[in-house]
Parts: sequence; structure tokens; C-alpha cells
Amino acid sequence: MSTKRAIRKILVANRGEIAVRVMRTCREMGIATVAIYSDADRGSLHVRYADEAIHVGPSPARDSYLDVGRVLDAARRTRADAVHPGYGFLSEKAEFARAVERAGMVFVGPRPESMDAMGVKTTARANMRAAGVPIVPGSEGPIADETAARAFADAIGYPVMIKAAAGGGGKGMKRCDRAEDLSALWQSARRESAGAFGDDRLYVEKFLDRPRHVEIQVFADERGETIHLGERECSVQRRQQKVIEESPSAIVDDALRAAMGEVAVRAARAVSYRGAGTVEFLVDASRSFWFLEMNTRLQVEHPVTEALTGLDLVRLQIDVARGAPVPRQEEIVRRGHAIEARVYAEDPARGFLPSPGKITYLRVPAGPGVRDDSGVYGGWIVPQHYDPMISKLSAWAPTRDQAIARLVRALGEYTVHGITANIAWLIAALQHPAFRAGDYDTGFCARYERELLPRPDPEQEEIALVAAAVAAFKRDREEAEAFAARAVASPRASAWVRLGRARALRGEDR
Amino acid sequence: MSTYVALLDGGRREEAVEVRRVAPGAYEVRLRGKVHVVDAFRHDYGTLSLIVDGKSHSAMLDWRDARVNVRLRHAIVPLELLDERKLRMRRAAGKFTVAGPQAIVAPMPGRIAKVLVRAGEEVREGQALVVFEAMKMENELRSPKDGKVVEVLAREGETVEAQTKLCTIA
Repeated sequence: MSTKRAIRKILVANRGEIAVRVMRTCREMGIATVAIYSDADRGSLHVRYADEAIHVGPSPARDSYLDVGRVLDAARRTRADAVHPGYGFLSEKAEFARAVERAGMVFVGPRPESMDAMGVKTTARANMRAAGVPIVPGSEGPIADETAARAFADAIGYPVMIKAAAGGGGKGMKRCDRAEDLSALWQSARRESAGAFGDDRLYVEKFLDRPRHVEIQVFADERGETIHLGERECSVQRRQQKVIEESPSAIVDDALRAAMGEVAVRAARAVSYRGAGTVEFLVDASRSFWFLEMNTRLQVEHPVTEALTGLDLVRLQIDVARGAPVPRQEEIVRRGHAIEARVYAEDPARGFLPSPGKITYLRVPAGPGVRDDSGVYGGWIVPQHYDPMISKLSAWAPTRDQAIARLVRALGEYTVHGITANIAWLIAALQHPAFRAGDYDTGFCARYERELLPRPDPEQEEIALVAAAVAAFKRDREEAEAFAARAVASPRASAWVRLGRARALRGEDR
Repeated sequence: MSTYVALLDGGRREEAVEVRRVAPGAYEVRLRGKVHVVDAFRHDYGTLSLIVDGKSHSAMLDWRDARVNVRLRHAIVPLELLDERKLRMRRAAGKFTVAGPQAIVAPMPGRIAKVLVRAGEEVREGQALVVFEAMKMENELRSPKDGKVVEVLAREGETVEAQTKLCTIA
């Protein structure tokens, strides 16, 4: 049980919600924290939460949070012994992990070699195939040209997906249903991929029917002991962005969990993994599962697993970084049901347009079994430069129905003014019959797009009209009273004028 | 007594609401031909506790000039509330019609991810015109009406400032 490396101060190479999340655990562990911030983030919550804060550059991420040199320099200047990358930004850049280690600091994350092995999709697939991990039938590597792509698609059968080798976030990704569409879609995917990643290599894989996105949380220590903490179901996605995550998954039983867990552990071992990682799978209607990719970092949705296992994954990350062993697999106990919803500053009624701006008022939910991971506060201006997620709200309860009801209840208490948030949409999604039945897949958001748009019932609308009219009436009356009071107090106005104004005011009220 | 006109669905529907104060905090509100007995108590910022015909509601009002988002337990109702004078002014200005050419502008600084229409093309109300990327998210800007695309100024890959005109629908 030796802890080999001392970690007394951690620089958190991130911003917003996840920076605050990591610092909270650091504070509990008595570890000092360093925040970094860009111009736009001087007033951000993570800056004021941290023990130290270093400015790292202008607002665009590439000039601040993505600038390895500047982030590293901040860590050196503050004599941090470790760097926690959070998620996004530099968290999956092996080059950053290497630079941190070269500078003599601990990178709270996997070895750079593991990140390399999982970073490029085609390399990851080849590595996983070698380790005996099931992968979606597809080309081993990038396909040379359109003719080769056609031959391959004919061999595995339509529909197929054309994907960018360097891809992510849905860019350069095309579904092709028929041989006659292949040419146009291939060209279009190439252009998109070249534009988005500066790399036009493409591969082709089988398209799965009604696939669900189910991922396994793994944890490994330095000696290679590797455990899994069960699954998270993340099929509620809008344009490849997860919106609602839960565990257990409605389609995963103990046997499937054990099988997927075993494969995920094998995947992690195959790349000598260390720390927290997530192996993402697609599970089809027949409950066959295939490796999708491995995220070599903490996930946004990690609170779901924390609620289920009672573990603090950030603490576990830091323990592992210090050289401590992971718990034994049989020590991991999963209880009840946990579910998380991502609150975004966006307007579902206007095509999910982001809604940056000043939060004029914020009241977050409380009560039994509710957790709010937020990076904002009342008065903060949500900047345009970064992701519009303002909070993750999660709920735990003994059963799935109770957990959903609890999250809906908590979302009903969530009040944010000044910007538009997707709260009513989240409630509609959680209450949708398909979601309630656990019968949903990655097509959920698109399939039920219209049904999920908030449409208040006439009774709610009537109450809203009454509320607005009464509020306006109170406001107008107070303004008139204030006006009259000023007139009465004014020595310049004649007594007749004052009397007239006072009468007018009383008259209006009668 | 005061009368207000509420515009719903972005101005497509109108409702008149009459408010009469009967005692401090007590009102009669006439709406859709019915009179409701309302007890209103103002809490902290923007929050109104209402007892309407004996039922308790908590309404949170987020005002932006005449526009207000009314948040109830499970619904957010966006509306615009005008008194008669403001309604007359608004009518004179002809603001809430989509007659005539409608410019589609960038709602915030961002990037044109994709242009989905060409000049001369016929479009339907709600049809996506431009895929706009801002804050790392892609969003579709849609046509406010049935009509014809008369000009397309947006170019794919271009970075634009807020309020930049992207295309016009007539």
C-alpha cells in the first residue's frame, strides 16, 4: 500500500464545471489547487475556487487552454507536483502528458503510450482486434480510394458508415444505404474530413440497426491491476453529444455486464492502461456488443458511476497517480439507479442555438438524492468561446422509476434567468414513454424531435398568463406610486398638480 | 383595472388579460371569458407565489423588456406582454409579421458550417437554410416563412460576427 509519489499541489488544466469538480476533491484531500484561465474566464467560478490562479492567454482556447507551453509554464511557476487535465482540451493529447512528465511532474491520467494506442481510430481498432476485442465489421485501416471502398462495402453489405480516420464529433461521418449513393457520400466525407482535421483518410464500417451507446468505466493502477465499475447508458445524444446518461442500462443484465466488463478490462490491459478510462461500445438489438473507442480520461458523466458505487473517481485517480493500488473487483458494489442530465445554455425552440450571456439569477435544486455539478453562478456571463454546458444534474434512487422521478423533480426546481437553458426539453425527454420504458437507442433525439419540443398545456399557459399580467400590474402600480411620490415631494410642482396626480393614481386603482 | 395583451407563439396568438385589484395582494383576473380569483405574493427575485382559484403555483418570471419567460414547475411559457398603448405602437411598426423580405442573420459570432440552399430555391417555413456553428455546437437556422431564397451571402467555412446577414427569404 505504498504511495510512492507525493502530490501536494495540482494544477487543473481545464475550466468551468470539471475544474471545480476536480478542485473539490483536492480540497477534501488537503491538496492545494492551481487554476488556469483565459481572458474570458477571469470571473469564472474555478478561478475563485482555486488556491492559486494563473492567466494563460486570450479567450480562444487554442491560445490558452490548448497551448501546451503556456499551461506547462503555469505549472512550473506555481511549483505544482501534478497536473489534472479534466476532460476535453489537452486531456487526450499524448504530447501534453509527455511534456508534463518530462518537466518532472505527475500527469493524473494514463501513460502517453496508451493514449497513442487509443488516439487514432484505425490504430485503436487494430490494437483491439489483436487483443480479441469485438469490433464493428469494418476496414482495418484507411481505404485507399473510392473503388476500394465500393468493393469493401459490397463485401460487408449495406448500410455502411463512412468515417474519418482522424474523426470525432460526427464530422466526416456519412451513412450510406445504397451502392449508388456511395460515390457522392465518399467525396463529401473526404471534403469534410480534410476541412475539419486536415486529414482526408477515411474508413468504412458496417452500420448497426438501432444501436445503443453503452460504455464501461475501467480503472487500472500502475502495476496493471485493472477493474471495471460497470456500465453507463448514453444513448440519448443530440448530434453526437450526450445529453442524458444512466446506470444500470435497461438492456444490460448481470451476465452482459460481466461479459462487457471483462472485454473492457482486456482492452485496457492491451494498451497498458493506468488510471480512469472508458471503453465505449455499441450494443445492438440482439445485445451483441462491439468496441467503439476508448476515452483515455475522466468522462463528463462520471457522477453516474460515483452515485452507484459510492466512490470518488477523482480521488481514485489521484490515489493511482500517487502509486496506490485500485480496489479489488469484488470490492466494487453497485447499488440502485443513477441518472444525469446535462444542462446546456441553449434554446431547443430555436434549433438548440447556444444562448450565451449573463445569468441574472440562479437557483439550483436541492433535496434528497440530488447532485449539481456546476461551473456557473448568478451574475456570471456564459462566454461564447467554450462549450455551452453550464451544469450536470444527477439523481440517485433505489429504482430506475424513482431516479427518473427524482431528476424530473429536481429539474423542476432548477431556475436560471437571463439565458435560455434546455431544462424543459430535458424534462420532456425524461418523461417520454420510450425513455420511461427504457426502449431507446442513439436515434432517440432525432426520432422524437417534435414530441420533445416543449409545448405547454393550456392550463399551464393560463397560469403563466395570470402570473405575467399580475406581475406587470404590480410593476405598473409601483411605478405610478413612485412617480406620484416624487411629484408630491417636488417643491416645484404646484399643489393643484400634485392633487391631480394623486387623484389620477387613486382613480386608476379603483 | 388594467388590460394587457399577451402575444404567444412568437406573435401568432393573442390573449387579452384584465387585472383588477380587490385588496392588497388580491386580484380578479379575467382571461378567456373566465374570472379567476388570484392571491399573489412576491418572493425573491422574479418569483411570484400565486394561489389561483385555490391552487398553489410558483411562477418565476424572467423579463427582457416586454418579453417574459414564465417558468412553472414543468413548463416554460415564453410570451410578450403589452399594454394597449404599446400594442398600438407595435401594430403601427408592423413588427410581428413575416410579410416582405426576411433577412436571416447570424444570431451570435460563429462559423458557417454548411449552406443548405441556393438563390432562387423555394423554401418552406421551418426548413433549414444554414448550419451555423457556435460554442462548438452546430445549429440549423430555419426559414421564418414559405417563400423564395432571393440572396445567399453566407459562405461555408466563413467566420462571421453577430448580426451578419446570411441570406434573404422573400
